[in-house]
Amino acid sequence: MSVRKAIAGVAAGLALSLGLTACSPGGGSTDKAEAPSTVSTDVASAGAVTLKFTDFWGAAEGEWIKQVITDFQKKYPNVTIQRTTEDWGQLNSTLNLQLQDDGGPDIATANNGWQSLGTLAKGGLVLNLDAYAKAYGWDKEVPTTIARQNQFTTDFKTMGSGSWFSTPMARTSLIGLYYNADKLKSLGIDPPASLADLETAAAKAKAAGEVPFEYGSLDSSTTVLLGVQALLADKKKLNDYIYDDPSVKAADVGMTEAITLVKKWADEGYYPKNYQGIDYQTAVANYVGGKGVFRWEYTGSLGLNASQQGHYGYIQLPQQSGSGTVGVGAAPGAMVVSSKSKHPDVAAAFLDYMMSAETGQAAVDRGLVPALSPDAKAPASSLSLTGESAAAAKLDSDDGYVPYFDWSSPTMLDTIGANLQLVLAGKMTPDKFTEAVDKDRDAFLAQQS
Amino acid sequence: MAASSSATVVRRRSLRRRTRWVGLGFAALPLGLYALVVLVPLAQSFQYSFFKWDGVTASTWVGFDNYVSFVTDPVLRSTFGHVLVLIGFFALLPIALGLLSAALLTRAKQPGMAVYRWIFFLPQVMTTVVIALVFKRIYAPDGPLNTALRAVGLDSFAKTWLGDFTWALPALGLIGTWVTFGFCMVLFISGTSAIAPELYEAARMDGAGPVREFFAVTLPGLRGQLAVALTLTITAALRTFDLVWITTHGGPGTSTLTPAVALYKAAFQNPQVGLAAAIGVVMAALCLVIAVVITRLSERD
Repeated sequence: MSVRKAIAGVAAGLALSLGLTACSPGGGSTDKAEAPSTVSTDVASAGAVTLKFTDFWGAAEGEWIKQVITDFQKKYPNVTIQRTTEDWGQLNSTLNLQLQDDGGPDIATANNGWQSLGTLAKGGLVLNLDAYAKAYGWDKEVPTTIARQNQFTTDFKTMGSGSWFSTPMARTSLIGLYYNADKLKSLGIDPPASLADLETAAAKAKAAGEVPFEYGSLDSSTTVLLGVQALLADKKKLNDYIYDDPSVKAADVGMTEAITLVKKWADEGYYPKNYQGIDYQTAVANYVGGKGVFRWEYTGSLGLNASQQGHYGYIQLPQQSGSGTVGVGAAPGAMVVSSKSKHPDVAAAFLDYMMSAETGQAAVDRGLVPALSPDAKAPASSLSLTGESAAAAKLDSDDGYVPYFDWSSPTMLDTIGANLQLVLAGKMTPDKFTEAVDKDRDAFLAQQS
Repeated sequence: MAASSSATVVRRRSLRRRTRWVGLGFAALPLGLYALVVLVPLAQSFQYSFFKWDGVTASTWVGFDNYVSFVTDPVLRSTFGHVLVLIGFFALLPIALGLLSAALLTRAKQPGMAVYRWIFFLPQVMTTVVIALVFKRIYAPDGPLNTALRAVGLDSFAKTWLGDFTWALPALGLIGTWVTFGFCMVLFISGTSAIAPELYEAARMDGAGPVREFFAVTLPGLRGQLAVALTLTITAALRTFDLVWITTHGGPGTSTLTPAVALYKAAFQNPQVGLAAAIGVVMAALCLVIAVVITRLSERD
């Protein structure tokens, strides 16, 4: 019968093509972990060089990188940088293929953590940059908590130590607290200077009929949880947890306390009514449109225009323990050099330039948060950018960065996102939440070794 | 006489053989293309499903581990349950409604029928992304659905539809019903019009009422169309991805996670290509089995 014949045909075809592809997939060379031994920082004498550069930046970020490229080319007229831009998700899911191609980019923006950067480094697709780190003095200039975000051991069992496989840039993306300055003024509340202040302010706002925190959990937004956790957790332990130190447990890094507080705020009615049905975009639009007093958010994600920037402030609250300021933050992209690049010296020089003070100033000029450039000046009219720049400068000087929590395992973002919804709905206790976090990371660690 | 007739037979047979080869020759290019873009990737997926692979570095052979974790992992296993619910909404409900409306619409010819058919068929030609965005708006906390419920005093029924652990999946399912209903109806209407009118006359002569007529004449006459509708809608339910991805991402919790969404997450968000391939293979096999079973059942006398 025709069906049977069709099945037989498909089976035969399968068997045939299986025969053609009968070796194990992958197997990219893993022996490229050695850093190039002789490197040069002399770009001017490198001759005419064209570098291909792929990134995921649009809008103000796109304008910024264009400026940086122009400035670099002005500095070194013998270098041409051809920039391609792709959307973030698109680049993330295809970068490994692009880097395997001989015609692929010399420089690209990867995503930190195991999913992207770790896999590319392990696969030998991106260059070990240790020699350049020494030549340019990155080890000394970059705060340790930022440097760690770009490092892997060469056996690729550990993240957060070992060799440089990417570099940060003179920009950062933080999680912190935004406030609606006009609302605070009309409520007669000062911008909070501590977590306790914030709770008092939230209670006051609620009593006055305002929504204290604009938030929606429909697509599992976790900024509120991670923002709060950074105030409660020990900096070193939290860094170690995310960099997969098995001796540190989620309960040691303030996870239970953080989720308990987030749930408490939900029970107190501090989030909008029906926040379970509000998605991220809607929550952002509501907040910028004037609903809610506070919002935990990534810097730059509110998309405030120049006039709105005068009406929203940003605070990086100090730790509850009073031991300095710790905040979730990372460069908005990890700069990598392809192992196939013919001009790694020039590419590394560009990476170094991306960490320069000029690059930081170019960022502030476009309303982006600068890092590694303490002298960058934000326009006084922009309340939010002034706050964000001050926060980044404080975190730089306190060496107070912690990476995004989901770097700890590839499935962590899914795990905390889905379980956060369960806790908010009262279907999971904070203790069980912390257990689920550990379970996810431990499963990943077991698989790594 | 005998010699000449056997020569004719030989010639005819060789002619037939030649036409068969010519036919294969014509089909060679499409067959080759099919092998290249369907069979080879299928075989590769099948092969990947036996490895633990991050998509870049060397892979490790793990045997049936990926399949085992698909079946034993509580979250992944729950996706089967979700799909069963979705099949109810994507296949059974629209087919029942489609049959009912086809029976009603074909009994009495009303003016403007083509317009109705066109309206009900419209969702079928719209992109799922557009549909998902529209329904995301409808189901929003202050969206049209809740506004309507409140307007008629049913405040207690207003919900955060897509953010509710109980209601998110049925809410998604109803979008599917809306999409496939028009398709089923149009299919059944065209099927009904192909049924010989004499059968209906005969049934009426025997004293059958509208209900009896439907079960005795219309339903058996629509067996082919039913098979097509079932196959397409059930496999659509199995493959549900875009609807979920745009509206809930599989949440709240994992209450709307489907195998296709789990596959996408494994393949493109977390470097678990082997697991993704295993999910894909199981889904492909299920689709094939369902198609074969339905075809068999509909062809049986």
